[in-house]
Amino acid sequence: MIDLTILGGYLGAGKTTLLNHILQHNAELRLALLINDFGSINIDAALIESQDEQQINLSNGCVCCNLSDGFYAALETLKEMEPPPDHIIVEASGVADVHNLSQHGYTNELSLSGRIVLVDAETVRARANDKYVAETVRRQIKAADLLVLNKTDLVSRDEADDIETWLTSFNTCPVIRTTQGAVPLDALLGISSRGFEDDHHHHHPDYATWQHSTHRAYDRAELECALNQVKDLLRLKGVVRCRGGGSLVVQLVGKRWEVSARPGDVDTGHLVAIGLAEHIDTTQLDALFFTDSAP
Amino acid sequence: MSITVFSARKIITMNPANPEGTHVAVRDGLILGVGALADVAGWGPYTLDETFKDHVILPGFVEAHAHIMAAGIMQLPYVGFFDRQLANGSPAPGVKSYEGLIEKLKEEDAKLEDPNAPLVAGGFDPIYFPDQPRLTRHHLDQVSASRAIYLHHASGHLATANTAMLERNAVTRDLQIEGLGRDPDGELNGELREPAAMGTCKDAMRIVHFANSTESALRDFGAMARNAGITTCTDLAGQAILVPKLKQMWREVTGEADYPLRIAQYNIPAIPGATADFESVADEFVTLRDNATEKLRFPGVKFVLDGSIQGFSALLKAPGYYRGEDHGQLLTVPDQFLDWLRPFHRRSLNVHMHCNGNLTQDLAIETIEQVLREDPWLDHRHTITHAQLTTQAQLRKMAKLGLCANFFSNHLWYWGDQHYEMTVGPERANALEPCASALREGVPFSVHSDAGVTPLGSLHTAWCAVNRVTPSGRVLGETEKISPYEALKAVTLNAAYQMHLDDEIGSLEAGKKADFAILEQDPLSVDPMQIKDIGIWGTVLVGRKQPAATQ
Repeated sequence: MIDLTILGGYLGAGKTTLLNHILQHNAELRLALLINDFGSINIDAALIESQDEQQINLSNGCVCCNLSDGFYAALETLKEMEPPPDHIIVEASGVADVHNLSQHGYTNELSLSGRIVLVDAETVRARANDKYVAETVRRQIKAADLLVLNKTDLVSRDEADDIETWLTSFNTCPVIRTTQGAVPLDALLGISSRGFEDDHHHHHPDYATWQHSTHRAYDRAELECALNQVKDLLRLKGVVRCRGGGSLVVQLVGKRWEVSARPGDVDTGHLVAIGLAEHIDTTQLDALFFTDSAP
Repeated sequence: MSITVFSARKIITMNPANPEGTHVAVRDGLILGVGALADVAGWGPYTLDETFKDHVILPGFVEAHAHIMAAGIMQLPYVGFFDRQLANGSPAPGVKSYEGLIEKLKEEDAKLEDPNAPLVAGGFDPIYFPDQPRLTRHHLDQVSASRAIYLHHASGHLATANTAMLERNAVTRDLQIEGLGRDPDGELNGELREPAAMGTCKDAMRIVHFANSTESALRDFGAMARNAGITTCTDLAGQAILVPKLKQMWREVTGEADYPLRIAQYNIPAIPGATADFESVADEFVTLRDNATEKLRFPGVKFVLDGSIQGFSALLKAPGYYRGEDHGQLLTVPDQFLDWLRPFHRRSLNVHMHCNGNLTQDLAIETIEQVLREDPWLDHRHTITHAQLTTQAQLRKMAKLGLCANFFSNHLWYWGDQHYEMTVGPERANALEPCASALREGVPFSVHSDAGVTPLGSLHTAWCAVNRVTPSGRVLGETEKISPYEALKAVTLNAAYQMHLDDEIGSLEAGKKADFAILEQDPLSVDPMQIKDIGIWGTVLVGRKQPAATQ
């Protein structure tokens, strides 16, 4: 399965900046980027292994493809790459319907990692009332798993609070405030397979992580019940022992989560999560997942 | 230089200075003159060709909005609702019931020798079966339990697969794609909505896409146009920029002396929504235009700005859709459209803009107004194509700006009842394709088929503009009817005008191309309701006789 992230948002919300941020900070994933505007992506020339009109290959195994053949064709090409990429990131056009695009994440070879929708703090409300794109922008906001409120340096803190409240009236998913698209990759693309061993997030005061290991075995139902009560997490993932054998894999992004059963036992279960420091409630997480009397 | 004089029962020229005649003299593919024999005999020794002495000659029809893929999709077994004709002239009867559909598919199944070959058919439209339950895999399973079957619907947004097709592609109930239709128990019912779901059946999708870019599709396109009396046909979302490898094949095929059609290709500069370096793309368009051949022209550029009315994806001005959920959406970022259009306008490339919704049309009009402020070009002839819901205020403004309209008159027949009852309601359904208002306000207009959305057939397209009737017998908007003469002008001279080709084609005049439509009857004297049924002998293209497949 290849992870798929849809990166949406209206023109000027900062999608290209965010893509550049991802490329600069990605250390371990073989990323495939499907991008709208090939010219705008900022790649260190030393990293470019080869390049043609359709595709740029990087020495770290990442590729950037343009969409001139159409989205479907580009996606098919990437799925057939050898070896396949770990993660495909689609930069949606400024008017794209993020929800519809994300349906590709439910096809056989793909797994929808997240719908990240950027909004420009300075202009989003005007866009959401614009003659031509009001509904388009509102639909994008509603489709998000995570909303990234970008360019917050251009508005006051009070204004940012107002916008966040306004965004919440469309979609109660987490809102990440940032400038220059500087959001940890664990939040944008999902927590890396290494977890947080190297502690590399803890220097960023806006984000907090939580993790726990346990030998406990869970019923699927109790895990689902716990996930329904989780609030304000950006991402959670892990694998735990399943009562009666096998294991349960958990993935959460914003309000959306899934639990899937997997054959094969694990000895120790691990759960890791990242949230906004001001929102994360580690006491609640401990209570939900690691007390034996969990609901 | 030999001269041929064609005689006819009547020649309608569309040249107001010389409206009718009985003889037309041709030399080197060009018209020397039209009139009585005595008027054209003086050019020198001639051969009198009386093939058309009982026929009526008109300027060859100019189809202002069609797609080569019209022929590609018709190479698949046809299961649409309305009767059609294949390129070889044989009938492709419409499918009026699910029983008929299953019967037709059984016949097609029996024709396939390879038991593993999928059966992919096209043209089905559930909108014509409102009293039936949705078509599902359970219907298609009655055709075959082993043959993988895929119905590509006419809208392009839907498909129906049978169980064997779903299984072949490992499409199971566990997939959570929203566009997968389901039975009440959660099992898949085989309906596939939108690309993510349709694309799960990969080999079927490949067959549909491949059908559109083959040499045989291009040949069938020429034949289908010729059978309808068309001598110049647009390919209004051409792929020359996106799929440049096709250009050589198009040049070779259209370059053959007996290829029966002149194609005016308006290429799309990028996938809708994707950005590109439009300055350099516009340079490519200039190169294409300057390297046009007799039968392959590149007059301008096509932008696709929104979806369709019956798909509820066109962007409508208030009060919006009558019934059904509004999915109106621009396919281009409005803030960028000016920057995209400007490079083409500056290079004097003619711009055709797909606007089905009238709010989308506001964007097109505003953007054209802005480029005209920046770079005046009095004779641009930029065109809004489809323009179905054009308002009176928009017509007044378009007239001032020199914008042309290319109305989708075939919608009046094919979806007129649905527009009246469902999409836009009575008042706006009556104002669809406002030809009479355009005429009154001074907006040059043509009418089109958008083939393969509806079939190629300029007489039918003109008939719609004249009669404005629907399959249920409604007349949509008595006040927007136009005369047969104006409708014929819309499918000849006006269509040529919009492409800056009216000095070459679109009317029969000394010095213009000898491109004729050869009809069995005079469309100006038959009962207007019979216009669409007039028999067509074929065409003459650059002086060469091109009989229809049925001749």
